[in-house]
Amino acid sequence: MPSDIETLERRCPRLGSSVTFGYCEQCGENALPCTKVFDCWWEYFNVTEYLKGRLSEEAFATLAQSPPKPKVNSILELIQQAKNR
Amino acid sequence: MKARKIFLTDDEIPRQWYNILADIKMNPPLGPDGNPISPDDLAPVFPMNIIEQEVSDQRWIDIPEPVLDVLTLWRPAPLVRARSLEKALNTPAKIYYKNESLSPPGSHKPNTAVPQAYYNKEFGIERITTETGAGQWGSALSFACCQFGIECNVYMVRVSFDQKPYRKSMMEAWGGRCMASPSNQTEAGRAALERDPNTPGSLGIAISEAIEAAVNDSTGKTRYSLGSVLNHVMLHQTIIGLEAKKQMDMIGQYPDVIIGCAGGGSNFAGLAFPFVQDKINGKQIEIYPVEPAACPTLTKGPFVYDHGDTAKYTPLLPMHSLGHAFVPPPFHAGGLRYHGMAPTVSQLVVEGLIEPKSVTQLDAYKAGVLVARSEGLIPAPETTHALACVVDEAIKAREEGKEKVILFTWSGHGLLDFGAYDKYFSGQLQNDVLPDEELAKSEKVFENHPKPQKLKSR
Repeated sequence: MPSDIETLERRCPRLGSSVTFGYCEQCGENALPCTKVFDCWWEYFNVTEYLKGRLSEEAFATLAQSPPKPKVNSILELIQQAKNR
Repeated sequence: MKARKIFLTDDEIPRQWYNILADIKMNPPLGPDGNPISPDDLAPVFPMNIIEQEVSDQRWIDIPEPVLDVLTLWRPAPLVRARSLEKALNTPAKIYYKNESLSPPGSHKPNTAVPQAYYNKEFGIERITTETGAGQWGSALSFACCQFGIECNVYMVRVSFDQKPYRKSMMEAWGGRCMASPSNQTEAGRAALERDPNTPGSLGIAISEAIEAAVNDSTGKTRYSLGSVLNHVMLHQTIIGLEAKKQMDMIGQYPDVIIGCAGGGSNFAGLAFPFVQDKINGKQIEIYPVEPAACPTLTKGPFVYDHGDTAKYTPLLPMHSLGHAFVPPPFHAGGLRYHGMAPTVSQLVVEGLIEPKSVTQLDAYKAGVLVARSEGLIPAPETTHALACVVDEAIKAREEGKEKVILFTWSGHGLLDFGAYDKYFSGQLQNDVLPDEELAKSEKVFENHPKPQKLKSR
């Protein structure tokens, strides 16, 4: 793997602005990679292999196999979290 | 001189939105207890009049007069014949677009921001919070809140906040308050800053902040607003397609192909849903949501004999491949990915009423520049995805000698996105930057495989 992989840049379809792979690697829930990390970086390098090497087996499985929650469910969770603060 | 634009007068603006939930069946969203979510569950963040729209299955919903009054600041949006693009592509296709870049913030987003601000105001809300990435939605909501005299607090993800300072200025011009997220205004923000004072933020943190600010306002006068995905957002956007149908009628045309870029799905839904209704009722029409390519066909890989599977059970087949060990995760099947997409759009895909397409970022910018150099307008980066598909369809029409009618949404202008264009012009955008050593490693698995010939039939 190239050492400068974390500085690779592309436009983030969620934010609408430019981000580095290093950003995508930690901007998801609980500092995990973004759920779209595979979709966005597939064309650039073997992101699957790279993240397999960097994440625990459990964290990788969570990222690769658990689809993100529907938006309404995420909102409900955030309401609950906010109430608990 | 041939007319390029088809206008509706202000009093011809549609008076009702079209609600697709009347015509399709959806599984209800389920709460943590496994039961369908009730309207009361969402009441801490949305006013009840918006929640009623979110769950309504009434086919036509009246657009309130004060909403129409604000929308007519720029609506009805013109339907434009892209004659110069047709000429550039030498296509017999007739290409039309709805120009949504003419709204004050420059995108389709105010089509829902305005009614959301209105319904909040009607419900007695004095302040709306939201999150934004690069600022398109935050700008739209600031503009809408300004029109109805509501305070607007926008949590803008720090990484975008630093890159696009003019978006903050735009929000402030309309009286919106734009804060870099994480901020010190909420518990969620303060906790994130405590973990890392230099954090670039994330949409997740920004949403948490916006929701917390709404939920924990003890006056009960604050609510939250979302600019995509939810049913009521799709509903409000249908004004795009409803206007387009009237305009198409005026010139005796009906589209063969509908195209829209699909991120959260709202601008696509806005144009497409009224035509999906026709398709449900028997019209022949192709409808394409377009998104960035997720899983390319790997044509950048060498042409080799390879197994089609990691277990090497399948016979060796000649294919472009990066190696059978190069396995994408299972959900990465190409085409429209459902995650983060409006459930109604996903449902239409499942039912086969719309067919997702994907394009690479390089093809998207190439199409964007072609259109800028023919039609003159500079599209937003997300709009370029729709344009790439339009170009493909127009070329296909030329090859087939068919005079197809293509209709798409020009979802926004790119006048605040020149950073992305700069990268394209300087050759920094590429579809495949697989490093040589990585490619070599991939190719190593083929060294004992027979080599296919590159045959040509003609």
